[in-house]
Amino acid sequence: MRVTGNRLIDLSSASTSKAQSAVGTVSAQLTSGLRVTTPSDDPAAWLAAQRTKLRQAMSQGSGAAVATSRDRLGITDNSLASLGDVVSQIRTLAVQGSSDTYNADNRAGLGAEVHGLFLAALDSVNAQSNDGEYVLGGNQSLAAPFDAAGVYHGDAGTRAVPGNGGLTTDVTLTGASLTAANGVDVMPLLARVATAMSANDMPTLLAALPDLDTAVKQISLTRSKGGAAMNALDQTTAARGVLEQDMTAAIARYTEVDSVTAASDLAKASQSLELSRAVTSHILQVLAPSP
Amino acid sequence: MSDLLSLLSVGSSAMMATNASISITANNVANANTDGYSRQVVGDTRTGSAVRVQDSLLNGQIQTAAGSLAMSQAFSDALASLETGMSGGGATVDEQIGNLFSKVGQAAAAPTDSASRDAVMAAARALVSGIQTRAASTAQARKDANTRIGDNAAQATALAKQLAAANTAVAKSGDPAARDRRDLVAKQLGQLTGGQARIDKDGLMRFTLDGGAVLVDGTHAATLATTTSPSTGLSKVEVVDGPTRRDVTAQIGGGKIGADLKFRDQTAAQAATKLDQVAFDVTSSFNAVHSANAGLDGVTGRNLFTPLAQVAGAASSIAIDPAINADSKLLALAAPGAGPGDNTGALALFALGTQKVASGGTATLGDAALDVVSGVAFAGSDAKGDVTRDSLVSDHLAGLRDSLAGVDTQEELTNLARFEHASSAMTKVVSTIDGMLGSLISSL
Repeated sequence: MRVTGNRLIDLSSASTSKAQSAVGTVSAQLTSGLRVTTPSDDPAAWLAAQRTKLRQAMSQGSGAAVATSRDRLGITDNSLASLGDVVSQIRTLAVQGSSDTYNADNRAGLGAEVHGLFLAALDSVNAQSNDGEYVLGGNQSLAAPFDAAGVYHGDAGTRAVPGNGGLTTDVTLTGASLTAANGVDVMPLLARVATAMSANDMPTLLAALPDLDTAVKQISLTRSKGGAAMNALDQTTAARGVLEQDMTAAIARYTEVDSVTAASDLAKASQSLELSRAVTSHILQVLAPSP
Repeated sequence: MSDLLSLLSVGSSAMMATNASISITANNVANANTDGYSRQVVGDTRTGSAVRVQDSLLNGQIQTAAGSLAMSQAFSDALASLETGMSGGGATVDEQIGNLFSKVGQAAAAPTDSASRDAVMAAARALVSGIQTRAASTAQARKDANTRIGDNAAQATALAKQLAAANTAVAKSGDPAARDRRDLVAKQLGQLTGGQARIDKDGLMRFTLDGGAVLVDGTHAATLATTTSPSTGLSKVEVVDGPTRRDVTAQIGGGKIGADLKFRDQTAAQAATKLDQVAFDVTSSFNAVHSANAGLDGVTGRNLFTPLAQVAGAASSIAIDPAINADSKLLALAAPGAGPGDNTGALALFALGTQKVASGGTATLGDAALDVVSGVAFAGSDAKGDVTRDSLVSDHLAGLRDSLAGVDTQEELTNLARFEHASSAMTKVVSTIDGMLGSLISSL
């Protein structure tokens, strides 16, 4: 086959351009760390990575919801823990006040102390989350659920958030668990004890003692439900952490460059470029007109 | 004596032939780098006329391959531009859909929190803006292709005239250089239109577009014109020959014009339609759930997005309901009558993320948005492959042509030296015979 000088120059310069382009591509990959910079570089890999990103976004959304709910449950648990402490203290004072050795004045003093504890308990059960919601208000979470007399005005509505595998997880406790529907009406009971002490009303005080025992158990049971929910959320978070790590690794696998392979490719492309340049230079020397 | 006179005549002819060869060789060297030039050799030793070395079949293959390469390159470039418009410059639509669901999921844990609600609204605004931007990019890409079609049609008309003029020149003189120019113009015309050139028995070239419309018939050239359709705003391509107009829009399947027609009317149009469908599905599916739930004020029946009447144009028309856009408290995240702290509506909106509510119930919203870009990406990847394949074919054919018709300066310089020596030898032969004749005549 007849090969002209111009053809030789064309071929060698095309070969040099190709090698230069290969070096540029691999260098860009090594610099950016990305193998797929535009979707058409590898449509299947890009599509797989984007699908994983979609799942990751959904997972991150539910993960943030779980984290927020876990914080809220923590506030609820603190609130119930404080309430439990107060009820135990009031029970102790009630037992003390029901003793025959105490007179009306002594009981009035204790009554004032119990009233103070009742107010502290009221603060606890009207606790608010970081975003201002009343944690024990149920779905009526924008207003304080317990009034000054300790009467509950919230509802029994609980909240669920998206968990793993498309399931939802219950993440709230309501003040309804502190009402007569679940044992005794805890907060009005405390108010009643304070009033009975102050008024030296022994029959009422004595009648309240078993109710206070029930209240302690009721609060404890509610807290245990909250603890179980927090445990479930912690497990959900742990599982999601593993899942998100897998998804991040998958996205990297689809779109990121393998540095060892890329370094090897760069060495090959650089050698090829040097060779092409040498050949081009030789061809130009051979074809140069003699002086 | 008569033999000597005959020898003198032969010597003279040989001198003329070598002089013609020297002239042709010098011309070859001078045109070694001229695009489309075919090396020439002496065709008739008596007249010293030049003929070009060429292969008509190969020329036809080169012209066809040039049309294919021009088409795949132009199509690939157009797709790359569309791909950048669809996936570059920030988050893609599928990522924005994912982000909206993520924010809705977060709001499910704090449905009364204004920051959570504002985050949902910000994500919804970003999605609307993203869809509108991608729609505008797609529309602009189609408009650009339309403009290129008009420009290339005008250029094709100019080339058609040049081809007709080259036919006239060939008919008049048969000059090899005129034939080269004609081949080059036909190749350039093929790169624009993808049509076919053939040389008929009369030695003139005819250029025919796909579908049979004749653009150049010998020394007569028609016009390739574009007319804008009032309904679409897009141009149709017509071959205009006197009073006759023939619409060839659907027939041109090659060259740069064919590439832009395919891009404008198929790939980009499909992407625009799919994006419209995504916008419509986002609007209708979110509205269906949203209107069934209640805002912080307890009111139900509100749409999150302004309802769209039809799929066509949905991507550029999608918008958030102005009232909700102004007040995120109206975002319906609670079941009707359940109280502001309820998150049933938020959970229902979040569940849309995994439900097949798009593309007639066959895909999720995220997957439908992905399909818009992946359709362009797969086409772009195929087009890159086509460019590589067509480049290889063109390169191979260029090698074959160069092997046959290319000018090798070393070879030509060797020939030049050979012809110079031959010319000197012939000069001596003529001189010797002239001397012999002189002696003979003087001895008489």
